[in-house]
Amino acid sequence: MESNLQVVDLTKQFPGFKLDHVSFSIPKGAIVGLIGENGAGKSTTIYGILDLVKKDEGVVTFRGEQLSSDNKLAKEDIGVVFDGINFYETLTPSKIGKISSAAYQQWDHQVYDSYLQKFDLPPTKEIKTFSRGMKMKLSIAVALSHNPKLLILDEATSGLDPVMREDILEVFLDFVQDEEHSILMSSHITADLEKVADYIIFIHKGKVLFSKTKDELRYQYGIIRCGASGFESIDKGDILAWRKSDYQWDVLVEDKERARRKYKSLVVDDATIDEILLLYVKGERVK
Amino acid sequence: MKSLILKDLYNIGHNVKSMLLMLLFFALFFIPGSGAESYIFTSGILCSMMVITTFSFDENSKWIKYAMVMPVSKRDLVASKFIVLLIFSAIGAVAGLLIGIIGTVIVGKIDYGNWNGIVTLIASTLGSLVLAEVFGSVSIPLLFKFGAEKARILSLVAILVPIGICFVVYQLIRILGISVTDNMVLILLCCSPLLGAMWTYLMYRISYTIIKNKEVFY
Repeated sequence: MESNLQVVDLTKQFPGFKLDHVSFSIPKGAIVGLIGENGAGKSTTIYGILDLVKKDEGVVTFRGEQLSSDNKLAKEDIGVVFDGINFYETLTPSKIGKISSAAYQQWDHQVYDSYLQKFDLPPTKEIKTFSRGMKMKLSIAVALSHNPKLLILDEATSGLDPVMREDILEVFLDFVQDEEHSILMSSHITADLEKVADYIIFIHKGKVLFSKTKDELRYQYGIIRCGASGFESIDKGDILAWRKSDYQWDVLVEDKERARRKYKSLVVDDATIDEILLLYVKGERVK
Repeated sequence: MKSLILKDLYNIGHNVKSMLLMLLFFALFFIPGSGAESYIFTSGILCSMMVITTFSFDENSKWIKYAMVMPVSKRDLVASKFIVLLIFSAIGAVAGLLIGIIGTVIVGKIDYGNWNGIVTLIASTLGSLVLAEVFGSVSIPLLFKFGAEKARILSLVAILVPIGICFVVYQLIRILGISVTDNMVLILLCCSPLLGAMWTYLMYRISYTIIKNKEVFY
């Protein structure tokens, strides 16, 4: 499968934290979700990709070309949205359009205007009067208006109400309809990723714990809910992670159908991405 | 790079009224007493200091992080600030000249029939531009290194550096027994744009090295 972005052994040591040989790729036409608890290294990974932190090790290639902050040509094709707007509050969408059009050779005024209209953003109003959702929509409009091949979003949907998130997720799905485009999005809101992501990369303590298709997680992973005796009866080789709450053991297994056949007396539920994340982070990891 | 300059000009556009008011206040303060020349210098330096404000705006909106993902290089990022400084310094010097002329006409401080007076004003405008550029360019590496808040204070100290250099040169000239003639002053004045440009280039190189070696941009 052809990829838009390839990250190999991205490493950065900070005092008290290490991003440790992070590797993954983003296939063309795919939305890849980056999940992990606060401080796991999601933003650092994104900053490493964008050369916003000096890498100790590792190579990032965008469509076969090495990515660095001085590679202007590659940056034309990458749209980035951070967790807030990065324009000063007295600017208006119209002025931001002029600034951006001076930066990007591929800037498309018509596309930008159409997004302003679609998102109900008044072109001549100062952005300090905008809600957080409106600011995020404006950032997304800017990121999409220079016809990027890759969109990188760092917590872009956090803090938005469900209606706004739905609107924005629809735009993302539209964007990847063209099989050339891809999205890398980090988010705390795993429900969003369950809706749109094709792949999930789970980062924990600076390392990639797993990188799997969303369907594999949703349709294969399961959680056995049981008591102490049930837990003892489970073959430890089947357990990925487990967590004990007051009277119940939650046990994460890789193949829920197999578990249902093997442990007929135990309840095996479907696992959400949130539950998988929680079991890996808060529970005891076996594999 | 055009986008970076445009962004600073749009951002600072909001401060134009207050800057104009400040220039008028200083005009009332300087022109009746010291004449237009000192006012032109003050105006140039005052406007050049707006570059510090642009860094404040950048910090407030975490702009540099964003600029680095746009198709601009680190060189562009640094060079744009020096160009913005030049624009602000030029605006300050020219505004100083215009307000100075109007002010001196009102207070009857200068005889515009006298050619020498006009030449002095034009020379002051050029000198103001060079001085504003020299002083302003000292603050840019500090702003890149320490951020707007710390650099604001450090810049005041750093302004003493070019003043100190000038003082040492002046003392050397005195010790060596060289008498400063009008001709020498004229030559120095004519060379000042070149010296200013060399100084600015040095500050640009320092700023670029700071940005190039920066570990993180957030």
